[in-house]
Amino acid sequence: MSGENEDYDDFVEEDAEPELPYDYGDELEEEEPGHASEDGDESNDEFAVEAEVLEDTERGQKPNSAIGTGTQVDKSMRITTPFLTKYERARVLGARALQISLGAPVLVDVEGESDPLIIAAKELRAKKIPLKIRRHLPNGAYEDWSVNELISDW
Amino acid sequence: MAFYLVELTKSVTVHPRYFHAKLGDHVIGRLLALTEGTTSGRYGYLIAVVQVERPLPPGRILPGTGHAVFPLRYKALVYRPFLGEVLDGVIASLTRHGVFVAVGPLSVFVSARNVPSDMEFDETEQCFTSVVQGSEDRLEVGTLVRLRIVGMRRDATEIAAVGTLRADYLGVLG
Repeated sequence: MSGENEDYDDFVEEDAEPELPYDYGDELEEEEPGHASEDGDESNDEFAVEAEVLEDTERGQKPNSAIGTGTQVDKSMRITTPFLTKYERARVLGARALQISLGAPVLVDVEGESDPLIIAAKELRAKKIPLKIRRHLPNGAYEDWSVNELISDW
Repeated sequence: MAFYLVELTKSVTVHPRYFHAKLGDHVIGRLLALTEGTTSGRYGYLIAVVQVERPLPPGRILPGTGHAVFPLRYKALVYRPFLGEVLDGVIASLTRHGVFVAVGPLSVFVSARNVPSDMEFDETEQCFTSVVQGSEDRLEVGTLVRLRIVGMRRDATEIAAVGTLRADYLGVLG
């Protein structure tokens, strides 16, 4: 498999107009969304990730920046690493813990645990995190991976 | 009356506490609450959302807040008034300087110069009355009138119009 992962994932996010434009990964400069939310449980596909073009124009960016015009890579054609990178792991745990701390329904048995970060880690272990990661490729296309299909027990 | 179906987009932000099985219903509820009843100079008065594009798009996580943003596309029924349009309305309020006519959500001001030429402001009754012998016509709060829009200003969130009652077939109805 492709050894070096770091090439592709960027995690990135962007936001609607929030003030904090951090970007985590990346070699790509601008860009969008990191991933998304989902609805609660099992039916993971109902709400998945995000879309960006729209936001771009709203924010007044050039509509054809490489990224905004990319299309999604078909699931069977994805080439990036099947592992959850340490950057993605940090981003996912952080985002999920924040949601849990704000009252999002927890998808695992908390067993008395009350620390959101620990509950998020528990969800990750149980493969119940309702988020997807959008990895942007150098050519502008992107791949969506459910956190739960990425190998995270390395 | 100019009603249109237009396709619009709206980014709806949802708090993490709603990330449960009914998330979709909540997102749509938020969309209706945020859009129905609003006014835009560009599209007019948004009366109702008649259809939301399905499936709902995936939400995107806002970094730093944990909220999710859903870029929704929907079809809405809007009412948009036009310059020169003839409309029926009800007098909502009035002063010696003119009357305000409510045409649905739109408020149209008709200056005293533009009330029918045979009417004058009556100080004792505080309304416009006809000076023609035998005519009972009067402009008071609640009177149904037909007017023509002669001026309009569209702001981002407001539409203001000026009208006239002084022309053939305009004025008090009935």
